[in-house]
Amino acid sequence: MLSIQHISKAFGPVKALNDVSFDVPNGQIMGLIGQNGAGKSTTFHSILNFIDYGGRIQWQGHTLSAADFDHIGYLPEERSLMTKLTIEQQIIYLARLKGQPAKVIRPQIDDWLERFAVKGTRKSKINDLSKGNQQKVQLICTLIHQPDLLILDEPFSGLDPVNADLLKQAVLAAKDRGAAIIFSSHDMEHVTALCDQLVMLRKGDVVLHGSLDDVRDQFGKTELFVTTDWSTERLQTLPGVGRVTARHQHRYVLHLTDASAGPAIFDALTQGHYIEEFSQQPPTLDEIFRLKVGEAHV
Amino acid sequence: MVLGPFLMIALTVGISYISANSSSSSRQVAVISDSAVLRKSYLQQHKSGINSKITTTAKAKKAMKANHLAGYLTLEASGAQLRGDYHGSTAMNSGLKAQVQNFLVQYQQLKNYQTAKLTPKQQRALAQTPVLKQHIAAKTGTSNSVKLISFWVLITMIYIILITYSSITAQEIASDKGTKIMEIIFSSTTAISYFVGKVMGILLVIVTQIVIYILGGWLGYTIAMQNSGIKKLVLANQDLVKGIFHNLFNLNLLYVLLGVVIYTILAAYSGALVAKAEDASKAAQPVVMLSMAGFFIAIPFQNNLDAVIVKILSYVPFFSSYFMPMRIINGTAGWGEQIGSLVILLAAIGLFALYIGRQYQRLMLQTDSESIWQHLIHSKRRS
Repeated sequence: MLSIQHISKAFGPVKALNDVSFDVPNGQIMGLIGQNGAGKSTTFHSILNFIDYGGRIQWQGHTLSAADFDHIGYLPEERSLMTKLTIEQQIIYLARLKGQPAKVIRPQIDDWLERFAVKGTRKSKINDLSKGNQQKVQLICTLIHQPDLLILDEPFSGLDPVNADLLKQAVLAAKDRGAAIIFSSHDMEHVTALCDQLVMLRKGDVVLHGSLDDVRDQFGKTELFVTTDWSTERLQTLPGVGRVTARHQHRYVLHLTDASAGPAIFDALTQGHYIEEFSQQPPTLDEIFRLKVGEAHV
Repeated sequence: MVLGPFLMIALTVGISYISANSSSSSRQVAVISDSAVLRKSYLQQHKSGINSKITTTAKAKKAMKANHLAGYLTLEASGAQLRGDYHGSTAMNSGLKAQVQNFLVQYQQLKNYQTAKLTPKQQRALAQTPVLKQHIAAKTGTSNSVKLISFWVLITMIYIILITYSSITAQEIASDKGTKIMEIIFSSTTAISYFVGKVMGILLVIVTQIVIYILGGWLGYTIAMQNSGIKKLVLANQDLVKGIFHNLFNLNLLYVLLGVVIYTILAAYSGALVAKAEDASKAAQPVVMLSMAGFFIAIPFQNNLDAVIVKILSYVPFFSSYFMPMRIINGTAGWGEQIGSLVILLAAIGLFALYIGRQYQRLMLQTDSESIWQHLIHSKRRS
């Protein structure tokens, strides 16, 4: 388990992290969300000892040190490889730094290239690959040594939906074999699809922390998804409805001012008859994100 | 880059060969004489540099005009006196002049003996010449040459290696700076291991280059020894050659290597201090200047090895690689002094590498625009 305990970091007068604490148990995925400059990369750099920080970070019960490097897979925010090398040379070089002998890694390379659908062979020069394929090679370098702790800084940025799915599968496979995974993303869809837990940072402070359901439930079930032939204006007159958003034809989202208004609205809409859709849910992560970011600007 | 010196030597030798061949005919001299015996006698004694095909003044003048002949020598025996006239666009060189003079004297003497009808005994008595001989203590002379040549070879070797590799090293390190691959590397190994590995890699390149030069030198020596003239010269100066080799392949070579090590570490540190890779050559300047200082301070002291400054600098890392070999070559440093200086140099290398290794991660991951001096001050505070 990765345990972050009360870490703080300041760059001059700017507080980058302020008493941040959370745990990432083995076999779980933690999503770190927040606006640019919220402190996500600084958190990763603190875990990796790239910077000095206040507080304590532990891995499997001890302070993370150089002895743990072989068990870490790290993907930085910006991609960077040694462009003069071939795919094979690059993968083997980085794997050897992780204590993996070339003879162990070499036979696995073709499988990984196939798994990530990399356009190129093991002998292709990194320089000759497209940006997307370079990114996939970098992901392979991060994953091939089967790390127990996976730190991925914006792993989905620049990936198309098909490749994003390939990455999701790889991350889930790492989770299945018991790795602790922490990743940052601006795409709430990926966070929702992958994370067991999430932490939202805002200017270095933790503003949200918990499982996806817990976080959403904190905001109450104030979103009502309905399919009805009622007009927007008529829906607006229902008790407890603050705002109505039309989705598609006859499909609406009713934003409730009071979650307890749900049963009354159900009765009013159905009047004892079948309706196609009536689903009362907490706000989506995307909405919560916007809400929390919005709070900062109030 | 490694093959550069070999290509330069091949180019120089090739051009010299072509130049020598193309100009040799225009440096020849024709010998013309009404007396076939006199001409034949000269040609028998002197074959090189003579165009024997030209036999008349008219042909010689024509060849000179076409720049195919440097000049022509007319030999004339009028009565009992021998006369030589040289016609050329420039004066005779000293070698040719001595050659002609010698021939005329010998031939004139022979003619004089015949005219005077001297007996062989009288001829021998008249042929007596005075003797002048120089007596030089050969050992001392060779020993001085050995010291001088060894000194220049060593310090030039260190200087050239450092000047060449300082900026390459700084550039190599600076090119990594600010790249995210450094984050991946530092999440895989310690900065000090990576730094030491990087410096070792660069040093191995340098050592490979030195080995290539040594092999190239040996090959060149083997080829040169095929030439009888060079072989004779080498054999005549065997003591000198052995002495130089002795001075190069002993503790001095270790000083050269350790000097390269400490300067390479400094160059690597300079590379790590720059904010941008493009500033790497700027960062290498202090290393180049320090190396130049060592080189140029060493030169005036080569004949004044008892100076206090030489003794002090032979213990100071960065300078000891220039000054201690100087003292070793001249036999002014005892074993204790040599070992003491070596220990200081080794300790400085170890501490320096450790200090920089500790700063290395911070320096390499920093992408701010701090100047070299700000980095130095901040890294000192942090350490």
